[in-house]
Amino acid sequence: MDPFLTGGHMIRKVRADETTWGELPHKFEAGTAPMAEAVGLGAAIDYLEAVGIESIEQHEHELVAYALDKLADIPGVTTWGPPADKRAGIVSFDVAGVHPHDVAQILDLDGIAIRAGHHCCQPLMTRLGVAATNRASFYLYTVPEEIDRLTAGILRVKETFGV
Amino acid sequence: MSDLDQLYREVILDHYKNPRGHGVLEDADATAEGQNPLCGDEVTISVRFGPDGETIDEVGFEGRGCAISQAATSMLTEMVKGRKASEVAVLPKDELLQEIGIPLTPIRLKCAILGLGVLKVALHRAKGTPLPEEWQGLANELELS
Repeated sequence: MDPFLTGGHMIRKVRADETTWGELPHKFEAGTAPMAEAVGLGAAIDYLEAVGIESIEQHEHELVAYALDKLADIPGVTTWGPPADKRAGIVSFDVAGVHPHDVAQILDLDGIAIRAGHHCCQPLMTRLGVAATNRASFYLYTVPEEIDRLTAGILRVKETFGV
Repeated sequence: MSDLDQLYREVILDHYKNPRGHGVLEDADATAEGQNPLCGDEVTISVRFGPDGETIDEVGFEGRGCAISQAATSMLTEMVKGRKASEVAVLPKDELLQEIGIPLTPIRLKCAILGLGVLKVALHRAKGTPLPEEWQGLANELELS
């Protein structure tokens, strides 16, 4: 297969009438290598290893368990997915009577960013019988107080819509 | 007014909770439906003309989706009742947006004009006129038929 981009470090020989390409992967990697990105990736890996992958997993499980508990206390909120110990830091939920895009918009006005939509899985939405869902996700920099803000925001959504 | 009050004005929530012109009309002279595949918003609109075959006598809609899409369609039914089909078929979207009266992001803008697009498709089809060019791209995107 011929390369579709040309540049530095990707040829073997260039003649007036013929050019041959370098070995893979070089012939498809024309130009200056993304050195800053490679160094950045290394730094990110060092950082995660210093924190500890197991600690991050533990933190996510704790946040998810807390979020599922708090959401279960709000009437009209449905959550989907496995129990907390079997999932990563992510919770999909529905607020009865309010479209997820309205939920997300009102939360956004409170500075809470969630994802709303069909999440690139329309067949699952059909199976669940919903147009879309809300999805909040947590990571090592998320703190429990932010989940409190999320649940307070959902109460504000319900108040706004009178549901 | 706060951002929340502005976006979900009382009138928007009122139209969402108590949609005007709700229900599909029997013996309709013009119908069309559309959906916004990104949001899952759906709207079906039906129209009945008066004895002159031109005045919009009744307009009904059914749908589901976000507050903006459903409230905008409800407001639209009130706006167009009693007006000429040929006039509504070329109604500028700004007229509806002015009525909605809230700032909309590009994505929510599509929610807001879904009903208007469906109505235009219905009217142009009933009258045998082509959908104006500026609506054709949107008609494909919003799956109006």
